[in-house]
Amino acid sequence: MEDLLLLLLIVFLAKVFGEVIERAGFPAILGEISAGIVIGVLFIEPDSEVLSFFAELGAIFLLFTAGYREVHIAQLRSASGKALIPTISQMFFAFGSGFLLGLVFNLGFLQSIFMGVAFSPTSIGVVVKTLIDFDYLSSRPGTMMLTSAIFDDIIGIFLLSIVVTMATYNQAPSGMQILIIAAKLVGYMVIMGFLGLKVFPRLFTCVQKMHVKESIFAFVIIIALFSAYLAEVFGLHAVIGAFIGGLLISDIPLAKISNVQSKVSGLAYGIFVPIFFAFIGMSVELEIVKTSGLFIALVVVLALLGKLIGGFIGTRLIGFDYHDSLVFGLGMMPRAGVELVVISAGRTMGIIGDEAFSAIVLMVVISIIVSPILLKVAIMNKGIFGRSAN
Amino acid sequence: MTTIETKSLSDSAKTKCFGVSVADIMSKDVITFAEDDPVEDVIGIFEMHHFHTYPVLSANGELVGTIDQNIVLEVLLFNRVPRTRHTHLAAIRSLGEDAKGIMMPHPVTISYDTDLYNAADMMLKHYIDRACVTDDGKLVGIVSKRDVINEVYRTRGTG
Repeated sequence: MEDLLLLLLIVFLAKVFGEVIERAGFPAILGEISAGIVIGVLFIEPDSEVLSFFAELGAIFLLFTAGYREVHIAQLRSASGKALIPTISQMFFAFGSGFLLGLVFNLGFLQSIFMGVAFSPTSIGVVVKTLIDFDYLSSRPGTMMLTSAIFDDIIGIFLLSIVVTMATYNQAPSGMQILIIAAKLVGYMVIMGFLGLKVFPRLFTCVQKMHVKESIFAFVIIIALFSAYLAEVFGLHAVIGAFIGGLLISDIPLAKISNVQSKVSGLAYGIFVPIFFAFIGMSVELEIVKTSGLFIALVVVLALLGKLIGGFIGTRLIGFDYHDSLVFGLGMMPRAGVELVVISAGRTMGIIGDEAFSAIVLMVVISIIVSPILLKVAIMNKGIFGRSAN
Repeated sequence: MTTIETKSLSDSAKTKCFGVSVADIMSKDVITFAEDDPVEDVIGIFEMHHFHTYPVLSANGELVGTIDQNIVLEVLLFNRVPRTRHTHLAAIRSLGEDAKGIMMPHPVTISYDTDLYNAADMMLKHYIDRACVTDDGKLVGIVSKRDVINEVYRTRGTG
């Protein structure tokens, strides 16, 4: 199929399906993935180079906007250290369940590690609506979820950067190789830190005075692409660089003018990100549902249980009661963007096989559907217990 | 309907504008918030005054952020806005208890000695309606498009 027509079809169906799903009360990402599955089943295989390049840009811009718009470095500083215990606990259990599952199914060390990393992050946005509806956003578990989610992305990206660098050795790294991985990470962070603190702020002061059209917008995009490219030069994945680049310019006033933010968001969420999610959907092999039913079921159950148990134990350790710990654990279950970027990176690098890839995409879809429902049931049950206690 | 005759700036008016700096035209009596001002007080000020944006100052008087009508609307109606606006950051802001918790950090600033033309150019080019005016990090005023228009109009009238 012609590339132009293909892109047109994907963006159109992703938006239409996204709207239908959004109106049905679920996040649009489900519709965008479904659009990809439908296109993949009915029309074409995702073998277009143009399409995979656009999807790669989608992953880059998804994480760039996460750093650029959604995280503030000041927030990280002010986030309560207390949230670290539940955060580490839920990520540790989720990672462990993914890693062990991979080992049990003989997926090899690296693929198992990737499974663990793909199980680790959380997409808190999926359950915010439920928390609001039940007036739970400002509750103890609600605020803890929001604080935990601040650390969540950062730790997720850190894990991804380690695993991607490990993947270049195609085996468990030796002591020397671990040092090289650490040196590359530190080297990249030092260069980016210097640019972020000393160069980018001055750069935008100059860019602001340029006469060419859309100079600030163009330089925001240039920094996104530069950070992604430099990360690849250092043996990291492009998406990691994009996230760090976004984070570094999130504190520069000229780069955050609302008009520029709106254009970056339009480019990302209007075009590239829906293409990325649709591409993920197109890459799903539905046949594995028949052939690997047990594996898929275990991926879904363990990914959800890992978060639930880890979140529950972590919050119990800092003094939450049973119910609040349960609510926290359930709130940490949904996965969306970062997880899909992780498995997409793993697949592109030839580490994640079709089976694990498709199983994790289905896990993401199911987690988005069931997490708000289970959270709702848990919150409502507290009311029932409260009344019976009275 | 009334039709008025418009005219471009005369050369003498242009010369006058060229010597005008932001400090000459900005609003100097600015209502500001302290970082620890409760959200209810912040919303009360929006009800009392008609300004679009209010600066937030730290304890030592440095400009640390701004709160505008969009933020207040978002905080007030967070429960009613569509799910797509329920981002992590918006959720955290909706729980903010003081000015610091809901403000937009790192606002666009303009130096007090910037000339009128450069200020106007920046506003037009980047769709900025107003900016905090600073002198070495300290807030000294707010300049808006209206201030620029008023100055140009005043100068033209006397040109």
